[in-house]
Amino acid sequence: MVRGFKRGLSPLVRSIMGATPNYHEYFEYRHYPLRVPRIVDGTDPVRHPVAIVGGGPIGLALALGLARHGACSVLIEADDTVTYGSRAACISRRSLEILDQLGVAREVLDQALPWTAGTSYYRDVPVYRLQMPMDENQRFAPMVNLQQCMCEQVLVDRADALADRVDIRWQTKLAGIVRRDDGVELALETAEGNYRLNADWVVACDGARSAVRQALGLRFSGSTYDGTYIIVDIHLESDHPTERRAWFDPPSNPGSTILMHKQPRDIWRVDYQLRDDEDPQEAVKPENVLPRVRSHLEWIGERDDWRPVWISAYRANCLTLDSYRHGRVLFAGDAAHLVPIFGVRGMNSGIDDAHNLAWKLAAVVQGKARDRLLDSYSVERVFAARENIRHASKSTEFMAPPSAAFKLMREAALGLATTDPFFATLINPRQSSAITFADSPLNAADSNALPAGPVPGEVLAECPLESGRGAKHLTELPGMGYTALCLTEADPRAAFAGLGGLPLSVVWIAPRKTVGADAWDSTGRLFPLYGAAPAAFYLVRPDGHVAGRWATLKPQSLRAALGRALD
Amino acid sequence: MLTDQELDEVYTQACYRMTEVGEARTPLFLARLALLLMKEVGDAGRVRAAIEGARDGISG
Repeated sequence: MVRGFKRGLSPLVRSIMGATPNYHEYFEYRHYPLRVPRIVDGTDPVRHPVAIVGGGPIGLALALGLARHGACSVLIEADDTVTYGSRAACISRRSLEILDQLGVAREVLDQALPWTAGTSYYRDVPVYRLQMPMDENQRFAPMVNLQQCMCEQVLVDRADALADRVDIRWQTKLAGIVRRDDGVELALETAEGNYRLNADWVVACDGARSAVRQALGLRFSGSTYDGTYIIVDIHLESDHPTERRAWFDPPSNPGSTILMHKQPRDIWRVDYQLRDDEDPQEAVKPENVLPRVRSHLEWIGERDDWRPVWISAYRANCLTLDSYRHGRVLFAGDAAHLVPIFGVRGMNSGIDDAHNLAWKLAAVVQGKARDRLLDSYSVERVFAARENIRHASKSTEFMAPPSAAFKLMREAALGLATTDPFFATLINPRQSSAITFADSPLNAADSNALPAGPVPGEVLAECPLESGRGAKHLTELPGMGYTALCLTEADPRAAFAGLGGLPLSVVWIAPRKTVGADAWDSTGRLFPLYGAAPAAFYLVRPDGHVAGRWATLKPQSLRAALGRALD
Repeated sequence: MLTDQELDEVYTQACYRMTEVGEARTPLFLARLALLLMKEVGDAGRVRAAIEGARDGISG
C-alpha cells in the first residue's frame, strides 16, 4: 500500500499492535484500485477546475460540497482506503447539519451513538455534570460518536454515487506543486507511473503534516503544549450509556486525568495524560498502557473481557496558518490549523472549513463571484481557528495543567467544586460549537437590530415548523444559494419582483397555516426566537450563516448584502 | 470596608489556618482562598486589579 503523508491527529507515535492494525476486525476496509487517467506527454490532458489534495473527511466533505453546488473536483489520495486507527470520534450538531446538506446525515446517524451529557469526577466524587445544549427545537443531538473510518466510508460512498462530479484518484501521491498565475500544476506519483495534473484551484486537505503546506514553505504560528496523551481504543462490551466521562486524579491512576467515550461496535476510547517524566516512546508500548487501562476499568466496575484495538500518542497543538489562501492554493482542516482534542474541534472545525469554502469556490469556478470571495473564506476560518484554539486551550489547560500553578489552581477548583457548584463551570470542557463571524466582510451592517434572533455572521437557530410537505426544521428550508427567509404575515414575494432576478430564493414562513406560505410557525416558538414582532427578514448564506437581518424588507439592503459576495 | 480590628482578626485567622495545614499545603490553601474570594468579590475588574497588585510587589 502507498503510505504517504497521513492526515489526522498529528500522532507522535503510531503503535501498530501486531503486523496489521486490529481495527480491521471491527471495520471492513474496502480497498480502492489505482486509476491513472489517459496521459498525454506525461500530463492528464483534462484541466480540472478544482484539485483537492487529501481524501480524509475534510477533502471528501469539500468534494461533496462542490458537487452539491454543481462544481467538479478531482481528489488526490495517497492511500487505497479510509483512515486506519483511531482518530476523530465525535461529530457535532453543526457538522451533522452540514453532513445532512451533503446527503449523508441519515447514513451517519444510522451508525452513530448520540449523547448530550457528561460527568467529571475529582477522585471518586462527581463534581461537574456537562449538559450540552438540547431542547425541543433541535433536530440533531448536540454530539454523536462515530469512528472516523466509518464517517469517511459514508462520505466515500456518497462520492461514488456522484462520480460524474467527484473523481477520486486513490493510491496517488503528491510529489510536487508548481504555482502559476492562472493555475496550479501538481506532480503526482503512482505505482503505475507519474503524471502532472493541472487545476485552476488546489485545496490542501492533507492533514497535520500537509505536503502542500510544506511544499509552499508555509509555517504554522502558535504554540505547542508539552504534555503527551495516550489514546487507547479498546473493545469492551458495556451497557454504560454514551456520555463523556472525565476523571481527575482517580484512585485507579493517582495524579492522572482520564477521559472515556463510547463508540459504535463496542469500541471505547480511553485517553490519559503522561507524567512529565515519562518517555512517550516507552509509554505508548502496550505493556505500559494496558495495566493503566485495566486498573481504571476494574475501578469503575467494568469486569468483562476487553482488548486493545489501537494505541497512539498525541501532543496538543494550538497552531494555525495566518492565511488559508495563497494565490490559487487554499488550505482546510488540519492542513490549515491544529487544535487540541479537548472539545472535539479537530474534524468538526475542518468540516466547517469545507462547508464555508464549498459554495464560495463553486461560485468562483462558475463565474458567479470574483476570486476575492475566497479571501472571505480565509478571514472567516482563520478567525474560527483562533476562537477554537482559545476555547480548546482552556480545556487543555484544565485537563492537563501546563505548569505547577495551573495544577495548583485546578486542585483548588476541583476541591471546591465538590461542595460548591459555582466553581464547577471551570471544569466545563467547552465542547465545539458553531463560530459566529461577527466581523465578516460578507455581513450587512446590523443597523436595524431585531429584538432577538441570530446576528449577522451567526448560524441559524433551529426550530421545528410545519410545511406543505409535512414537518420540517428551519435549517432544512434555505435553498442552495442565498436565501431570503421571510417571517411575515403577508406574502413577501411581490416585494422581490422588482429586484430583477437576484440570485436569491425566497422562503416565506407565516405565523400560522397560510395559503401560499412555504412553512408556518406551528409551535409559536419561531417568531419570538427570531425577533419577528411582527416580521423579520433574514438573508441567509449558502452555508447557513446569516448575512443580514431586517425588521422591514429593504430590497436595496438585500441587494447590497448580496453584492458583498456575488458579482 | 473592614475595620482595623477586623482586618487584624482575619489576617491572624488566615495565619492560624495556614499553620494548621502546614507549609507544604499552604499553596493549596491560598489557591482555594483566592477562588473563594473571587466568588465573594463578584467583580472581574476588582479581582483583576487584586491579581496584578499581588504580582506587582513580587520581583522576578
